[in-house]
Amino acid sequence: MNSILEAVFAVLIFPGGLFALALGLLLKGSDRKLLARLQRRVGPPLYQPVLDIIKLMTKETLIPNTANELAFRLAPVLGLTGVLVTAAVLPIGGVWNGVSGLGDLLVLLYLLPIPAMGLMLAGGASSSPYGALGFSREMCLMFAYEMPLIASFLAVAVRVGGATGSLFSLDSIIAYQLHNGPLLFDPVMMPAALALIIFIPGTMGAGLFDIPEAEPEVIEGPLLEYSGPLLAVFHLMSAVKLVVVLELAVALLFPNPIGGGVLVNLVWHICKCLVLLMVSVTCFRAATGRLRLDQGFSVFVKYTSPLALISLGLAYMLR
Amino acid sequence: MLQFLSRLAPRSPWIYRINAGSCNGCDVEMATAALIPRYDVERLGCKYCGSPRHADVVLISGPLTLRVRDKVLRVFDEIPHPKVTVAVGVCPVSGGCFRDGYSVGADIDHYIPLDVIVPGCPPRPQAIMEGVLKAVEVWRAMIEEGICSPS
Repeated sequence: MNSILEAVFAVLIFPGGLFALALGLLLKGSDRKLLARLQRRVGPPLYQPVLDIIKLMTKETLIPNTANELAFRLAPVLGLTGVLVTAAVLPIGGVWNGVSGLGDLLVLLYLLPIPAMGLMLAGGASSSPYGALGFSREMCLMFAYEMPLIASFLAVAVRVGGATGSLFSLDSIIAYQLHNGPLLFDPVMMPAALALIIFIPGTMGAGLFDIPEAEPEVIEGPLLEYSGPLLAVFHLMSAVKLVVVLELAVALLFPNPIGGGVLVNLVWHICKCLVLLMVSVTCFRAATGRLRLDQGFSVFVKYTSPLALISLGLAYMLR
Repeated sequence: MLQFLSRLAPRSPWIYRINAGSCNGCDVEMATAALIPRYDVERLGCKYCGSPRHADVVLISGPLTLRVRDKVLRVFDEIPHPKVTVAVGVCPVSGGCFRDGYSVGADIDHYIPLDVIVPGCPPRPQAIMEGVLKAVEVWRAMIEEGICSPS
């Protein structure tokens, strides 16, 4: 009973739920502000994503006649639920160790594609040709970026498992890094770390990989037919997804707390997320343009996956 | 509380552009207002969106030629309420230099209610931004008077 309550708390309030929503909107806002400053603009206020959500809540919801209404309404809710659960599984170094038995690295591997699935369902249900195009682009890109993700997960698991004996437990990954130093500075794991950092803009659709929701090409793809509160749920989903992928990379590569109280560690964790956001999303988005789908596919299959595989091989040999 | 929140809504106007047979002059100025750092519309909370279903403020340019008329009306109907319309350039109001053309019918405001008019051929980016700000004021007034539903 107690563990169920704990899990509900984790999904609804901290570190999922309210905390993840607030942090996600803050990260989205700082992303827009930073991008504006990089382009020498003033940029929107930091709380602009909150205003956007409020605005969308007051708008009318339009559903196309030809759409499948149930799937159309279900898709954003499905995606948001998926990312909130994922956020609850992830541990925060020095603050939160995760609910015991709620999930490990393998469960994360199944939970991470859920927002992409929500977008694909949305694109398919909206019955718009652009939605269908966005659907197929999202799916192709997902197949490509899952490969380096799985390979770098395996590399981390083998590296940690060789030392602690438990392969996929998030707890032991954190404990290993607290004891042996962060994996980010482990020479064996550096290629996998790079692959994981390239995965972040891939799954967030930033810069080179803004392919499924390309505005000038497929008019925001799966989101084309959405309006009002349903679109707001999609924006919340994307905000929490940003939190999830950043926290995932932080947990796997550099979860070490700064010491001191829980609050200090939480602020330290948010700072790490912000720095990672700036490197992997904002600067990347400011510096690069969109690739074609086949080029984006080959970036992950040809160049990013081998990086993670090198780490996996080295970790296996040095086990 | 709810009223307070709905009063915050006009601080995030998302902009959608409709080209109703324009010569592209006004569209270039709109893109300038969007893209050049000096005229940053994003600091007002604006975002140019690709889909009419995400839009709040509609910028219309061009004299509404016969060929695009039905398509423009169809796209305009797909924009969810509350929506505010801004006519950019003289063409939507009077037809501009195309007013005697064989392909130009009645002015746009015979078909679509125009809330703000930004005259000019083409108007300067500053004028377009001021038009967007006026549109936001119209939107705010619509919320305070409670007339967000279709007229």
